[in-house]
Amino acid sequence: MSPTAVLYVSQAIHGLAYGMLLFLVASGLTMIFGMMGILNIAHASFYMLSAYFCYQVLQMTGNFWLGLLIAPVVAGICGILAERFLLRTVHKQGHLAELLLTVGIMVIILETVKLFWGTESLVVKIPEHLDGLLNFAGLSYPIYRLFIIGLSSFILGVMALILYKTRLGKIVRAAVSDADMVNALGINTPLVFMLVFGMGTWLAGVAGVAAGPLLTVFPGMADQIGMDAFVVVVVGGFGSLIGAFVVALFLGELNAYGIQFIPRLAPILMFAFMAIVLAFKPMGLFGERE
Amino acid sequence: MNILETKGLYHDFSGLEVLFNINFQVEEGERHAVIGPNGAGKTTLFNVITGTYTPRRGKVFFKNKEITGAKPHRLARIGMGRSFQITSTFSRLTTFQNLRMGILSKRGIRFNLFRKLDKMKTITNETDEVLKRINLDGERDIPASLLSYGKHRSLEVSLAMSTDPELVMLDEPTAGMSKDETHTAVELIRRLTEGKTMVIIEHDMDVIFSLADRITVLHLGEILAVGTPNEIRENQAVKDAYLGEMEEE
Amino acid sequence: MRDKLYKWIPWVVLFIVLIIYPHVAGIYYTNFFVRFAIYALFAVSLNLLLGYMGVLSFGHAMFFGTGAYMTAIVLTHIEGFPLLPAVLVGGVTGGVLALILSPLLVRVSGTAFAMLTLAFGQLIFVAALKFREVTGGEDGVGGYPIPPLSIPGIISIDMKDQVSFYYFAVVVVAICLYILWYYTKTPFGSLIVGIRDNAMRVSYLGFKLSHTKAINLIVSGVFAGIAGAIFALFQNLVSTIGVLDIGNCFLPLLMAYIGGIGSFFGPIVGSAVLHVLEFLVIRFTERIGLVNGVIFIVVVLFAPMGLVGLLRMVKERWFTRSANQMSTGTSS
Repeated sequence: MSPTAVLYVSQAIHGLAYGMLLFLVASGLTMIFGMMGILNIAHASFYMLSAYFCYQVLQMTGNFWLGLLIAPVVAGICGILAERFLLRTVHKQGHLAELLLTVGIMVIILETVKLFWGTESLVVKIPEHLDGLLNFAGLSYPIYRLFIIGLSSFILGVMALILYKTRLGKIVRAAVSDADMVNALGINTPLVFMLVFGMGTWLAGVAGVAAGPLLTVFPGMADQIGMDAFVVVVVGGFGSLIGAFVVALFLGELNAYGIQFIPRLAPILMFAFMAIVLAFKPMGLFGERE
Repeated sequence: MNILETKGLYHDFSGLEVLFNINFQVEEGERHAVIGPNGAGKTTLFNVITGTYTPRRGKVFFKNKEITGAKPHRLARIGMGRSFQITSTFSRLTTFQNLRMGILSKRGIRFNLFRKLDKMKTITNETDEVLKRINLDGERDIPASLLSYGKHRSLEVSLAMSTDPELVMLDEPTAGMSKDETHTAVELIRRLTEGKTMVIIEHDMDVIFSLADRITVLHLGEILAVGTPNEIRENQAVKDAYLGEMEEE
Repeated sequence: MRDKLYKWIPWVVLFIVLIIYPHVAGIYYTNFFVRFAIYALFAVSLNLLLGYMGVLSFGHAMFFGTGAYMTAIVLTHIEGFPLLPAVLVGGVTGGVLALILSPLLVRVSGTAFAMLTLAFGQLIFVAALKFREVTGGEDGVGGYPIPPLSIPGIISIDMKDQVSFYYFAVVVVAICLYILWYYTKTPFGSLIVGIRDNAMRVSYLGFKLSHTKAINLIVSGVFAGIAGAIFALFQNLVSTIGVLDIGNCFLPLLMAYIGGIGSFFGPIVGSAVLHVLEFLVIRFTERIGLVNGVIFIVVVLFAPMGLVGLLRMVKERWFTRSANQMSTGTSS
């Protein structure tokens, strides 16, 4: 195949991989917003925290899979603790206070990470069997990226199954759409909140672990994907998983091709798009929650 | 002259039809009530007239000039004032500061960045006069959110009139008030709307019959009847649709 | 008459203290004060939006930063550019940026406003990194000449002298703070607070919301830009770190909250508290950021009215208690 075709395909795969990671992060964010009305500024910080936890596990055991298993769970627990003890306390003070609190959490996670692991980039090596290229139909695909796509798809599949085929999933979807109603129906909403918060954070954690080898682990790693996740949630619609999916993949590809071909303008286009959507359709393109 | 008139007003919300072919007229200087069961479209009519919504079809005229789709701030400037069913004041500001906002607007002081507001004696005096007229001078420096319900509603209504509008639109001003509070409120409204035109949405029949010169009855988005209180009281269609409900209360 | 005299005394004392301060405190603390003053102005400009208009500007560093960069760039490229215009350039830049963004920003409030300002803040941060020819990328713009404060033919004060710069900076910040204080006391200022409490009602009373909000945004941007300009003159180096990054968006927010967003002076108090705190904490640990984060959460959780707010509460309780004592003749 011609070199340009190879370039296009490899960019497409990179874009897809990043898009899937982005969706993992954004899905939790959009569900949390849909349900609790808070835009969790610290959401991407849990993504980063999980990446650092995985690094730590790697340092201690050398086992990436263990890291993949443990780190997101720990991050999820941190998320639940933050919700239970911090966010819930300010809930009665209104949305601004909640927003501010998530800012505080973001700062604390950032500084804690810098405290324990320093400010330099940490190298997390791609696990052996995932390293290298897969040759298929005349093209070479980086195996790790395929792994990311596969892992994300698997998790998303499981998530979709739970959300759409189980009673618990129904409750969660209802709570995301209208928490007050669910509460009025006698369901323990604080518990559901905690669950969704934990799940969302766990998803971000998985993305963090997966992203580590690809994007390096450093204190600024939350910024890029965090901002992208906000764009996804805003444009895709607060509380809309479908919207988040579509926009995340679109953004992933836009990023991949944009960085390749119009490196300077790419971020600007994205922000411009989001700004316009926010100004004219404050609930996002697909969103409908008040 | 009809100070307010709508022609063929039609409005819907994403397909849910709320107003049909409304030809509503208000004579200058009269006190006009709009009544009807819940869901009849009264507040929507208000919202269309006061610029909250632009009607899907039809036109609105104020002093014979078309104002369809004009924004609320423009309508306030040309002489329309509006109060809200759910009290909507400046909760953290004092009663005095609340009313002062309207006075500033009335005097066209919108972009003054040059004088100290507290030193503007004319504004302070005028606001204090208004406070006296509405019997809230005792609560001058109390934040609006701490007022008793009745007084807060009074403030709500007074705020709508603070810009000294020719046409005052009051949306259920006595909602939630006790009998005594209602009585005081009605006297206040009567006093304050002397020489003005008033349109009022109300459910309390005593209020309507004591205040209104004419009544428009709305039912399911259409005008069912228009007439004096006595005419409406005798109107069979109205009785069937609405007053029957009222007698049960 | 005597009351008026009493009111002026604290200000006279303050004036005297400010004049003798650098001679008593030494160079290090003089510079410390300048930094406090810059951030006091920055935080007050943020509070025009936060405490007064009720919106969270989460990218406020963009006004500070563009002001700082513009001042630095102008001083680098235009020989002999004078001092005061250099400061004004920063202010104008901040204001122009606010003007450009205002059509979008006036349409939103609450979370959407925070998001938009965050996004734009990040956008400008990234742009500053990428457009290296103009901004020097990560290295920034530095080493530009600091013009003297001069009236041609009469006097010329070297601004590289730190004590002279202190006086200059303090005077400029004091004037700016006075202007902003006065601004909040005008009829227009009262509108802003109305918007915070009930934007809809303000419009129904006859005020055009979008214009009013835009003007407040621009005023906020101008003074944040001036703070940035003074920063550029002070540091003689403007780069993205500590100027356009998210940390610099967080600092004025923290200061405003610590001091109290419900008062004009709150953010000034907050800047003072934070700088003193940083000074004390640095002796024990470098992780001042973590301390800041914890303090922020504590304040938001337990004392969202800030120090000035707490003070007011205490004053009120104290007065009502003595009033009760006076009226009932007993202690309650």
